[in-house]
Amino acid sequence: MSEGMTTEQIYMTPTPVRIWHWLNALGIVTLCITGIQIRFPEYANIFGTYKAAIKLHDVAGVTVSISFFLWIFYYLFVARSLVKLYVPNVEDIKRGLFTQAFFYFFYYFLGEKNPHTVSLDNKFNAIQKMSYLLIMFLFLPLVIASGLLLMNIAPLRGWIIMIGGIKFLVDAHYLIACSFFAFLCVHIYMATLGHTPFSHLRQMWTGWEEMESHPH
Amino acid sequence: MKWFLVLPTAALLSILMAPAADAAANDCHTCHSKKTIMNQGIHLYIDPLKYELTTHARIGCVSCHDNVTKRHPGDKIRPSRAKCQDCHAAVSAEYNQSMHGKYADCTDCHKPHAVKPLLAVSGRDINIQCAKCHEYAKTVKNHSKWLPQATLHIDALPCITCHTGSKNYVISMYMVKSVSGSSMGGVALASYEDLLPFLSTGEKVATLIDGDGDGAISLSELKKFNTSGKYRSLSLLGTMMPEVVTHNYEILDNRRDCTFCHASGPNAQQASDIAFPQQDGSYSRTPVEKGAILDILYGTPDFYMTGFTRNNTLSIIGALIAAGGLLVPILHGTLRFLTRNRRKEQ
Ligand code: HEC
Ligand code: HEC
Ligand code: HEC
Ligand code: HEC
Ligand code: HEC
Ligand code: HEM
Repeated sequence: MSEGMTTEQIYMTPTPVRIWHWLNALGIVTLCITGIQIRFPEYANIFGTYKAAIKLHDVAGVTVSISFFLWIFYYLFVARSLVKLYVPNVEDIKRGLFTQAFFYFFYYFLGEKNPHTVSLDNKFNAIQKMSYLLIMFLFLPLVIASGLLLMNIAPLRGWIIMIGGIKFLVDAHYLIACSFFAFLCVHIYMATLGHTPFSHLRQMWTGWEEMESHPH
Repeated sequence: MKWFLVLPTAALLSILMAPAADAAANDCHTCHSKKTIMNQGIHLYIDPLKYELTTHARIGCVSCHDNVTKRHPGDKIRPSRAKCQDCHAAVSAEYNQSMHGKYADCTDCHKPHAVKPLLAVSGRDINIQCAKCHEYAKTVKNHSKWLPQATLHIDALPCITCHTGSKNYVISMYMVKSVSGSSMGGVALASYEDLLPFLSTGEKVATLIDGDGDGAISLSELKKFNTSGKYRSLSLLGTMMPEVVTHNYEILDNRRDCTFCHASGPNAQQASDIAFPQQDGSYSRTPVEKGAILDILYGTPDFYMTGFTRNNTLSIIGALIAAGGLLVPILHGTLRFLTRNRRKEQ
């Protein structure tokens, strides 16, 4: 660490969000693993029986669905910071995305500083905003909706046919699930790009982020 | 359809000449296929349409009711009835050995004057036979103790797929129509009459999908049917049927293992057929091109058995997406490692 640099701690992530996050993470990881057995039973028998995989998948799916609605409720009505934190502004789209992408894939390797400074009001950089927005408001709702339909095929058969058929539903569910896996790989890796490899991860656990302090 | 002509005259004759009506007694239909005989007991009526379809029609009434006298019914002798095992010795032996032998008789499941071969029945016909004794709601409840999505399974499968052994199973599809008015927009089995409006007069039902009428349905014919706006209210659902009938009703332990059906190994059947309802209430099956049930979107959009009829191309696309995600940490991580000194310097 160069001279004059000190670190400071900010309380970044409130407890409800942290609880949601790890419940969700556990749920999504469980869904990915059980999902592999459900789609490829001849190749992967991870949970003993097919039925066990289905049951676990159902439980994890319902858990993720419920915690998703609690998450929305918390951000909309309790913290009221959903739009501020998650919706990219014009500046983010015009410049932020590119600046941030250049940093991650180029300047970072040259050893330059992250152009985005974290603060309570501006927690995520443009890329984070964009990807969290997509994940939380497009992919997660779609995967939840398709999953719930697939859990209730018999009573909802008419709707499923209207949507375009059970094959379409299953295929959409599968492709979105694969995207979740891809997101997960990138997400976990990016989480190690903080001030120290574990500072973001620790932050997501304790709420306190350790960062380089800068003059106010 | 000769009885329509014979009936009125013969009935007249029989009224005039009974009980000694010799000629009339030989043509049992004159009385037993006439609805008015139901006045003396509904069970006395034999539906000629259904009877004509049976293999039994070929052997004739008196083969099974051999002591009907010339003076029947005036003689008050109750005609004899053949025992099923007289002809079906093998089936009877098998059935009587099974646990179920003591619970139900052949005639509890088969009406001798309306029997149909397996290929002419729908899965629902079979389940209706069983539902006489195994009440639907109770059956669903009992199976849901161990079977996920029990309602779906009991609705979609003939009981005999799980409760009798067969070496092979076939995917058989059937038509349903959407039911307007139900809040969930449900579907119901489409009957012959439901399909009539889609046919020009005299056209066979199978031509709905089998456009070229060659007795086989190709993938492109299926796609055409599934994408055509004309048939929007019709869909094809699928079921799994045993290839041969056995009568050893039993609880088969391997059916508790979902992968008995939900896995697509090298031996997985990709063959399927479509069962079209016929005017007489039976079904007639038309084979479908091999592999059609695995098609991504338009082959059989409303039939999917998880783990079994998945589409390989789609599986690969999904795997590529996942691999793309995995590549980011690998590539970025490598460069990060190689350039680590630059970040230390600053
Ligand atoms: C003239 C009309 C007539 C003709 C022809 C006729 N039946 Fe009948 N059959 C009856 C009537 C009426 C009864 C009911 C008799 C009764 O309940 O006593 C009956 C009863 C029966 C029964 C017994 C039903 C029971 O409840 O046990 C059988 C079996 C039967 N008929 C078979 C035949 C066969 C086989 C033929 C042709 C060889 C035939 N019948 C021809 C009028 C007819
Ligand atoms: C394959 C043998 C077979 C043939 C062919 C057959 N029957 Fe029967 N029939 C039976 C048997 C067995 C029963 C007893 C059914 C039962 O117990 O439910 C029966 C019952 C009946 C009964 C009484 C109805 C009842 O349910 O008890 C009538 C009437 C009858 N048959 C008439 C006819 C006539 C008329 C024909 C020809 C058109 C005919 N059968 C052909 C085997 C046959
Ligand atoms: C618990 C119900 C049940 C009982 C009891 C039963 N069957 Fe069946 N049987 C079926 C079903 C279901 C089928 C297949 C669908 C169909 O053909 O109706 C069938 C089919 C058949 C077939 C046609 C097989 C084929 O390849 O198409 C014959 C023959 C037959 N049964 C004879 C008998 C005889 C004989 C008995 C009495 C020993 C008997 N069944 C008892 C349910 C039963
Ligand atoms: C005439 C009535 C009757 C009909 C029709 C009938 N069953 Fe049964 N079945 C019984 C009775 C009674 C039992 C014994 C009580 C029980 O387990 O519910 C039984 C038991 C069973 C059992 C459990 C056997 C065991 O080993 O414990 C199976 C499986 C079964 N039936 C399947 C079928 C199927 C499939 C059909 C239709 C093709 C059918 N049954 C039609 C009366 C019937
Ligand atoms: C997915 C396969 C499957 C299907 C479809 C199925 N069963 Fe079963 N059934 C089983 C198995 C496995 C058992 C044994 C369950 C246990 O261990 O209790 C069983 C048990 C039974 C029993 C005896 C235990 C009880 O619950 O009374 C009856 C009777 C029965 N089934 C009837 C039917 C009937 C009737 C149908 C059609 C409506 C049907 N089954 C459809 C697999 C199936
Ligand atoms: C084991 C798996 C996971 C790990 C290790 C992990 C790690 C992290 C870390 C360290 C952060 C803080 C960094 C930041 O704020 O950007 C974070 C935030 C976040 N993660 Fe994850 N995560 C995992 C799974 C998931 C999954 C499956 C999802 C969504 C489907 C998800 C969605 C989010 C969101 C939306 C945030 C921002 C939360 C907020 O503060 O509002 N994460 N995660």
